Amino acid sequence: MPEEKINYREIVTRGIWKENPVAYQVLGICSALAVTVKMSTSIVMGIALTIVTAFSSLIISSLRKKIPSNIRIIVELAIISSLVIITDQVLKAFFYDISKQLSIFVGLIITNCIVLGRAESFALANRPLASFFDGIGNGLGYSLVLVTVAFLRELLGAGKFLGFNIIPQFIFDAGYQNMGLMVLAPGAFFIIGLLVWLKNSLPGISKPETYK
Amino acid sequence: MSNPPNKPPDKNSKKNVILFSLLLSVICSLMITAAAVGLKGFQMANMELDKKINILKAANLISHKKPSKEKINELYSVHIKEVTVDDQGKIIENYIPNSLNLYFFQEDGLVKGYILPINTRGLWGKIQGYLAFENDGQTVSGFSVFSHSETPGLGGEIESAWFQKSFKGKKILNSENKFVSVGIAKGKAANLPKDKQAHYVDGISGATLTGKYLSQGIKQTLIKYDSVSITFRQKQLKAQKETQ
Repeated sequence: MPEEKINYREIVTRGIWKENPVAYQVLGICSALAVTVKMSTSIVMGIALTIVTAFSSLIISSLRKKIPSNIRIIVELAIISSLVIITDQVLKAFFYDISKQLSIFVGLIITNCIVLGRAESFALANRPLASFFDGIGNGLGYSLVLVTVAFLRELLGAGKFLGFNIIPQFIFDAGYQNMGLMVLAPGAFFIIGLLVWLKNSLPGISKPETYK
Repeated sequence: MSNPPNKPPDKNSKKNVILFSLLLSVICSLMITAAAVGLKGFQMANMELDKKINILKAANLISHKKPSKEKINELYSVHIKEVTVDDQGKIIENYIPNSLNLYFFQEDGLVKGYILPINTRGLWGKIQGYLAFENDGQTVSGFSVFSHSETPGLGGEIESAWFQKSFKGKKILNSENKFVSVGIAKGKAANLPKDKQAHYVDGISGATLTGKYLSQGIKQTLIKYDSVSITFRQKQLKAQKETQ
């Protein structure tokens, strides 16, 4: 096996920015719509997804030479869903309030395409440690988008930041109103669309690359 | 067919596929079982505590800031008493068919109010909570939600303090002493006709259906526990006559 030096930092930053799972790979949109009404839920969701992606990539990558290729999707899903169930159980036991807030979304990590997408496109072809960092990078990239969207939605939709009112009362008295659209799913569609456009039009940083 | 020497066995052979999937299933199920069984004690303790917190919340004994575990257990044992009543609203010792469970809120040995468990369907799943009444048998003193699977940020707002606090002081009887229940308005309760405002709380924007199901559930629960409320109202009348 050739000993090439793996640049872990590059792997992580690529997931966060250049090949951001939501803005560049357009994965994980469904949950990005659902949990971004409030900042607090999106932060916890981001952390949970980062942990699950990192460890599922690690496990799948270390098994990559053993996994029969014709049942590999089933194997990947079995590993991912076991991890998610364990995460859910741990949250329920030690972070009960957070698990109550996230309710069904923890279970929905199983269906988050980022986890399976990274397993398929990275972990099956790379070494365990590199896959682990790839999972972390992509999880953080997802969290970044989630928190940005949630920040805008919470601010415009409810006038709050992490649950605290930050738009002073006199502005409301002067006729300002919260934007009801932002609380609903279409609000997230608009923001994510604008973010993808913004990210991909920033000069020099992210020219769309052709897939190898 | 045998593999030539020095070549690893084919990982895609039927035997290998079956072996691999068997092994994987066993390992995964063992891990999940271990997590579920090992953490069950913690989870049950959390749920039990959460239930107590919400009963205390409905009774306005604690605010939405969380006190310590010891404080909760102490408050609960001093003020809350779980009782079973028959369909006439009489307190009974043993469980009989059609008996109902509720909680009394006591202070210095006197019953100050009662707390009914709410168990209804929501938009995505069950909503479980508590609705507390003052001892006049018609004024709501508090509401809390113990478990639900509504959309966070939309229907999930039934968990928030502003929504739960808005139930306080609402009446389940109208000015002619007829039962009307309490419900969740579509939009602001202030936009409703004057005679309805005492029975409705502000709705949650984006959660019309959650509100609808919760209103229905509260009404059904109140009808089921009607005998209890009537008993309390009669006691109240009696007490008023005695003082006059």
